[in-house]
Amino acid sequence: MSPVLGIAGYVLREAASRKFIMAFMVGLTLVLAVVALGMRIDVIDGALAASRLFGQEVRATIQSVDVALRPVYQASAFIVFYGGILFGIVACSDFAPSLMSPGRIEHLLALPIQRWHLLAGTFLGVMTLALGGTLYGTTGLVLIFGVKTGYWTVGPLVAGLMACVGFAAVYAVMLTMATLVRSAALCAAAGFAVLVGGIIAGHRQDIAKAFEEGVSRSLFQAVTLVLPRLSALAEAAGDMAASLPLEVRSLGTLLVGVFVFGLGALVVGFWRFEGKDY
Amino acid sequence: MVTVTASTPAIEVTNLRKTYNRAFRKTGNIALRGMDLSVPRGSAFGLIGPNGAGKTTFIKSILGIVQPTEGTVRVLGGSPEDARIRARIGYLPERLHLPGSWTPTAFLATVGRLKGLPPDAAGHLSLLERVGLADAVGRKIGGYSKGMRQRLGLAAALIGKPELLVLDEPTDGIDPMGRMEVRRILQEEVRRGTTLFLNSHLLAETERVCDRVAILADGRVVREGKLEDLVRGESRWVARFAPGVSVDALGSAGFVPARADGVFHVEAPDATALNAALDRARAAGALLVELRRDGMDLEAVLLGTVSAQAMRAAEVAA
Repeated sequence: MSPVLGIAGYVLREAASRKFIMAFMVGLTLVLAVVALGMRIDVIDGALAASRLFGQEVRATIQSVDVALRPVYQASAFIVFYGGILFGIVACSDFAPSLMSPGRIEHLLALPIQRWHLLAGTFLGVMTLALGGTLYGTTGLVLIFGVKTGYWTVGPLVAGLMACVGFAAVYAVMLTMATLVRSAALCAAAGFAVLVGGIIAGHRQDIAKAFEEGVSRSLFQAVTLVLPRLSALAEAAGDMAASLPLEVRSLGTLLVGVFVFGLGALVVGFWRFEGKDY
Repeated sequence: MVTVTASTPAIEVTNLRKTYNRAFRKTGNIALRGMDLSVPRGSAFGLIGPNGAGKTTFIKSILGIVQPTEGTVRVLGGSPEDARIRARIGYLPERLHLPGSWTPTAFLATVGRLKGLPPDAAGHLSLLERVGLADAVGRKIGGYSKGMRQRLGLAAALIGKPELLVLDEPTDGIDPMGRMEVRRILQEEVRRGTTLFLNSHLLAETERVCDRVAILADGRVVREGKLEDLVRGESRWVARFAPGVSVDALGSAGFVPARADGVFHVEAPDATALNAALDRARAAGALLVELRRDGMDLEAVLLGTVSAQAMRAAEVAA
């Protein structure tokens, strides 16, 4: 078995023992169960005739199911994107510092694995966790609404995957931070900083106008240029989930930008980790 | 391709230096100052020294956990950077941090997987029995005592029958009965042909397990050799005479009374001087019944060596 998969398994086993991660999964299941059991949707000839939540009428206007579900899926995409990344930052902030804690890192480094295996395995384990949680939530939502309305779409799943891409860039920075300082708090702080920076970077053109022309605006544009445009990615995810035309000019460029940022952060982390004494 | 022969030392370091560089400081912390050491294969080798001597840095160097500033490190005929070499080493760190929510079998299975070994649940159970954890197999590691964690760490180090065992304070936190069990396991491993490299503050433990010892002080090996040679007194002898001997007469012959009746110490750098002293004693009417070299324990050897080293360093500084 590849050492990378071995370390990923190590991380996942650690994650399974975390009570708050289990609580999150239970909470997610409960939300899905409430939606599944508490919501009644009447569809007649492809149009949403009525919907009731615990017997209370939610929507009276008759409209086609796909149009009626757009705001639901769009809101879900935003919740998955921002909520997922926020939860991921908090929940995963101590995985890498914990693996690098005194007494554990020496033991791992003395095993016949390469140093990069350790970081790559940690990254893979965390991303598997993020992907699993995202797919569980979004698939559940699609299944529930699909069964109730007969309208099936992969939009929310694709939006969930885009949220994972955004989180990958954020976690790459957190992992790199762990190679510099073994602190869960600083890893989380780095994650929050990238998230906030990524939201600002997504609106950089609009925000730049608020700066005076000259050095300050150029500096702002230069700094936000290297950050992943997370808010733009979130909006694209929302549009995909709602099956709306994309507002971003090029989703491919956006994804490549996020990927390059994450890869760059990881390369710095790998380089630092290779030469570090523990 | 690394050619390994029986004569290749298990560990060989030459002029090993390690300086930990600190951010925003011009000078770093020097942990090792040109260390030379050769650990023969199949030996039980003990590394002793005061706190801050560089023992843990040395152990980390031979495992590739810290990278030397200067010098060469060869372990089992290769570089510790080579994963194939590390696959043949079992290591127990000083403060092993174990995942508390795991069971011991899951932990050993993970270590086995990361060592590239096939799954061996029965072998892992047998290892747990061997280290005295048979009754705690079903419990989570978080509920283990410090001694139990050490035993589990030892079991993890023994996975895959390593050729070299590097143990940093293996009996730390283990009760006296447990220490005896650990000692027995280590002796079994040495008999099997495993090279044992032991770092322990418990000198009596080192003395009982190891056949060779190196004393590390201030980042250098200041003394190294067979245990029996190190603890043997150089020129001090113990002589026991038959009752009725005159203390004054023996005192004038160079014998100093010890605590026990009839037992005396004498300083004799060679056989001629020793026999001359004995002749004087016999001439004074003393009847010799026992003669042996005055041995020291490892603690005395360590204290003497480290003190001498400190005095030499002070002289050089002056």
